[in-house]
Amino acid sequence: MKNCFDEGTIQAFLDGELASDLLENVARHVAVCDGCAVLMAEAEEESAFAFSALEQEFNTLVPTQRLWTKINYSIDKERKSVWQTVFAFFSNPTVGAFASLLVVFGLFVAFLSWQNNAPVNSVAEIVPNNEKIVSPIFTPAVTIDQTLPSDNLEDPQVAVAKQSKKDFQIVKTDFVKKENSPKANNQLKYQPDALNSATNNNLIGEESYIKTIATLEKTVNSRKDEVLKPSSRFAFEKDLAVVNDAIKRMKGEVKKNPKNEAAKNVLRASYQNKIDLLSSVTEKTELMASLKQ
Amino acid sequence: MRKIHINSILIIFALLLSIGASFSLAQTPPPKPTPKPHNKVRKIIQNSSEMPAEKSIAVDAGVNISLCVSDGKLKINGWERNEIRAFVSGGSQVGFTVLQKKKTNPVWVKVLGYDPSTNKETDAEECLAGDEIELDVPRNAIVNIKSNSSEMVIDSVGKVSVENAGGDVFLNNIGRGIEARTYEGDVTVENSSGAMSLFSTTGNIIAFDVNASEIGDIFKAKTSNGAVTLKNVGQRQIEVGSNSGSINFNGEFLTGGQYSFGTSNGSIILTIPQNSSFIINASYGYGVFVSEMPLQNIEKNTPSKIQNLSAQMGSGDASLKLTTVSGAIRIRKQ
Repeated sequence: MKNCFDEGTIQAFLDGELASDLLENVARHVAVCDGCAVLMAEAEEESAFAFSALEQEFNTLVPTQRLWTKINYSIDKERKSVWQTVFAFFSNPTVGAFASLLVVFGLFVAFLSWQNNAPVNSVAEIVPNNEKIVSPIFTPAVTIDQTLPSDNLEDPQVAVAKQSKKDFQIVKTDFVKKENSPKANNQLKYQPDALNSATNNNLIGEESYIKTIATLEKTVNSRKDEVLKPSSRFAFEKDLAVVNDAIKRMKGEVKKNPKNEAAKNVLRASYQNKIDLLSSVTEKTELMASLKQ
Repeated sequence: MRKIHINSILIIFALLLSIGASFSLAQTPPPKPTPKPHNKVRKIIQNSSEMPAEKSIAVDAGVNISLCVSDGKLKINGWERNEIRAFVSGGSQVGFTVLQKKKTNPVWVKVLGYDPSTNKETDAEECLAGDEIELDVPRNAIVNIKSNSSEMVIDSVGKVSVENAGGDVFLNNIGRGIEARTYEGDVTVENSSGAMSLFSTTGNIIAFDVNASEIGDIFKAKTSNGAVTLKNVGQRQIEVGSNSGSINFNGEFLTGGQYSFGTSNGSIILTIPQNSSFIINASYGYGVFVSEMPLQNIEKNTPSKIQNLSAQMGSGDASLKLTTVSGAIRIRKQ
């Protein structure tokens, strides 16, 4: 029993935890020492029992391992082609049935849209119309160059007034037939938008004014050539230019100083003037139409 | 695998079809044809006789008369008889149709450009036309006129409503209110009373010696390209506007009155008595404010080029609101 090893060394030998030289020594000694061999056998039995009891626990993967497994699975999944996924999806009979339904629905909607277009044309054909076709006219805004004194603010009781110059210069007045002209249509369509973009939120109800004006302008532009004589037309364009100029100036003032109530008042009045001016053309159109009936 | 392919093709086809259908629905529908006025060419029934056309009808004293004039000078005169007499020279025939009766007397009559009792034309022109068109109507009558092109003189009737596409309108001695609108021409009102609404697009508006017939009668005058001249206007609520013309007011501001004068590019000139009493609130831009009268409590805000001035004269019995963008405001002594 001389040079026999203790239980701890034998257990370490069994667990493979000994250094290589000590491992050799223990192996040679156990081969020749019966007592140590018995000890080794007992330790082996105990280890086998303990391992069998903890087998389930040892077989369970540690979280890190599980994580790696999941990552690897995801990578594998991504490597799969899209078509494989799509095919897998479509192989489902429910999906097939849904696709068939969609086909029927699509056909139905296409048929409906075709049906909706048809009556409009037929109405246009049925209505008797022997009159001359009215050619709506689009008129771009007339710009006005007006020179006015700016620093003529005087005390109320000083009776010295400097009359402002009233030189109107109509820069350009082009008349483009709207008839099937996409350019003109677009310009007309964008007029309200352009106005809206210029809207500042400083004046309550300004949007309402702008919408009304846009609607009226659309009507007036399509009718004014028919309704207004050249002299009236000139006066109308001049007045419109004056009002537009007033609106532009007042908008600038309100934008500069949103608390300027005077500018707001004048701006409101200018909008109303423009509405009245445009309304006069539409009302005249209505009057002439009613007289022809 | 073959089954999968068929299913895939089917669903792609369905999706394409659905997208196409959605696009076709989303597109703006084609514009519907604009309804056009029925420009029926009605037949003017010319008076074939060498004598001018003339007709008369007995009516109620407060009869409502409607007529339209396509062309010609129109003169309407109020008289003491309960009768309408219509006269047209150098133009259409004349006739009446009774639209409503009260007991035996017509209370609503339409004056026509043909005689419905003798003319059987189905498409006869209803509007009167001629060199001269004259109507004598009961003094208390209400006259409604629509005209294409006519110079009108209306005198001594109860109430007038005129809409004229082109031509001057002269109204005198109207008792219970005026609504006059001409799109090319002047509107002149004299010695009349009641609520008044005068409108012109390219013409002047002149009103003098007019009054309210009832409390609360409003006087409104608006022209786009002309001047507004008012003298001795007795309504307590006055709204006057001109786009590119001046406004001249000559008269007194009544106690409790509300006066609003606005122009875009014209002057506002007020000629008033020295003992006037009002509170003034003026907004003006590129013009000036000049007063020959001594104003008190002047408050002037000039945050920008648009100025606001408020002031008082006397005890401030009337309220004035003056607005101009690039015109002058002047207050002168009467």
